[in-house]
Amino acid sequence: MANDSGDDVPLVEARDLAVRYPNGELALYNVSFTIKAPSFTAVIGPNGSGKSTLMKTILGLIHPTRGTVSVMGYDVVRESKEIRKLVRYVPQRDHIELSIPMRVKDIVLMGRLLKKPAPRFASSMDKKAAKEALARVNMLELWDRPFPELSGGQRQRVLVARALASSGPLLILDEPLAGTDAESQKLIVNALSDYQKNNNVSVIMVTHDLNPIHVLVQNVLLLRNTLLGVGTPCDVMDTELIKQVYGPTAQIVEHSGHKYCITHDSGVDRHD
Amino acid sequence: MIDIIDLILNTPFLQRALIAALLIAIIAATSGTFLVFRGLSFMTSGVAHAALGGAALGFFLQAIGLFPWFDPTLGAIVFAVLVAVITGYAGESGVAQKMEVAVGVSFALSMSIAVFLMYYIPPDKVLVLWGYLVGDILLMTNQDIVMLTITTILVAFIILLFKKEFVYVSVDYEGSLAHGLNARGYHYLILVISSIAIALATKAVGAILVYAILVAPAAASNETLKSVNKVMIGVFIIALVAQVIGIMTSFIVPVSPSAITGILAALSYIIALQIRKIREKVNEGIPEVIHQETTNIE
Repeated sequence: MANDSGDDVPLVEARDLAVRYPNGELALYNVSFTIKAPSFTAVIGPNGSGKSTLMKTILGLIHPTRGTVSVMGYDVVRESKEIRKLVRYVPQRDHIELSIPMRVKDIVLMGRLLKKPAPRFASSMDKKAAKEALARVNMLELWDRPFPELSGGQRQRVLVARALASSGPLLILDEPLAGTDAESQKLIVNALSDYQKNNNVSVIMVTHDLNPIHVLVQNVLLLRNTLLGVGTPCDVMDTELIKQVYGPTAQIVEHSGHKYCITHDSGVDRHD
Repeated sequence: MIDIIDLILNTPFLQRALIAALLIAIIAATSGTFLVFRGLSFMTSGVAHAALGGAALGFFLQAIGLFPWFDPTLGAIVFAVLVAVITGYAGESGVAQKMEVAVGVSFALSMSIAVFLMYYIPPDKVLVLWGYLVGDILLMTNQDIVMLTITTILVAFIILLFKKEFVYVSVDYEGSLAHGLNARGYHYLILVISSIAIALATKAVGAILVYAILVAPAAASNETLKSVNKVMIGVFIIALVAQVIGIMTSFIVPVSPSAITGILAALSYIIALQIRKIREKVNEGIPEVIHQETTNIE
């Protein structure tokens, strides 16, 4: 970890990136951007716009067909081992297999134990960190509860806690707010915001809806298989841009000082 | 009671059968549990039948004198591992459907090879080959026991050593990879060691018993028990009891122990489903309680 958080090394840098889905279809093309650390970055765009693919490419789970991506100076293809020491990942909730009898504590401890060498025994420090992380999303009472029996929003909170309990300067979250109740959404956003401010970490979050996080976000990547917009939340709230991404029916409406982005995909997205 | 102990002490084939029952219960508790966790219970049947095809090839090559060193057991293991690796490769992208197709195709291919080669194998060997399908736990040889013991120790040791890793790969493959685990390595490791165990167990007691014992108890325990360790212990107990009752029954009435064991194992799954249903009915009011707990704290 020699060159992490150096002044000039960007958090993530993509140059002329092209990635294909496993079925051969082009998921991303002509994607170039630079994110500096520390930052809170949102990746938005409609379904099938390559958001998750971009995250998986950053993690080295999928290899680009053209171009390069580096995370803190490490190339995602050649140096993915180094990158995986630096990142914590929250996959989409439905990628977690529920047929295995895991308890809430097992899931949260996973974030720490995966980064330890075998035999991966949970020390009292690991348990303490796991409990603190669960407390941040108000789930500590459910420590011993079977994970598959929780509601969707509760499961999502546990997964975010798993990332908070783990270590590494970059958190990557794939749709952590999708299909969650308002309370869970608020808890997740507050926990991430506090954690990011107090721990010198960066967050990259894929989301359908910018509204719950717009005050936290410094960078927005607007994606529709290629990069259509980069900037602050206010920059990308542009009618032309939004139409390009979400189609001609998308609108931005101003009402009593707030901007609302209306799309088929995300419904209404308020913007102050 | 003394009569039973006396009978066991004086009947070597019964001793072998009981030892085999214990060993296969251990394989079920380790391999069987994790194959069900990975959604690969169907692979057990594919691998067991692949072993049959591999053994047929071994007998054939020996019969025509082309490769006299090619032992049928070796053929069974090679075919079994091959099916496991093909299944694993198809499943690497995480799509369970592809794995199912891979198992189905290899199943059909190895059975066809077995049936095709049967015409060219000496008749006495064909009988041995049938043993792979409908083998009998009461007909095991000392050599069978030795090989099964070695495999069981190997499988149980590896699975208990890497239990956490196997659980993590089963729960969240992508997440495990992203956090630096060699998920791919563990994915193949469990498939390969399980397939070797299945091949040797198939040779010893027949494909039907192996399938019944490796799948049903694991599925039953997984429906009702709420931690990985409890599931493994549950599988061990169900598998052992079903086999011992099967062996004992065959002494009282003229019936194949595999048949009784298979029926009992299947019954355990049906009972587990009922237990789960009843529990769900009882627990119908619970989610609201959880919700209250979490909202009160703030």
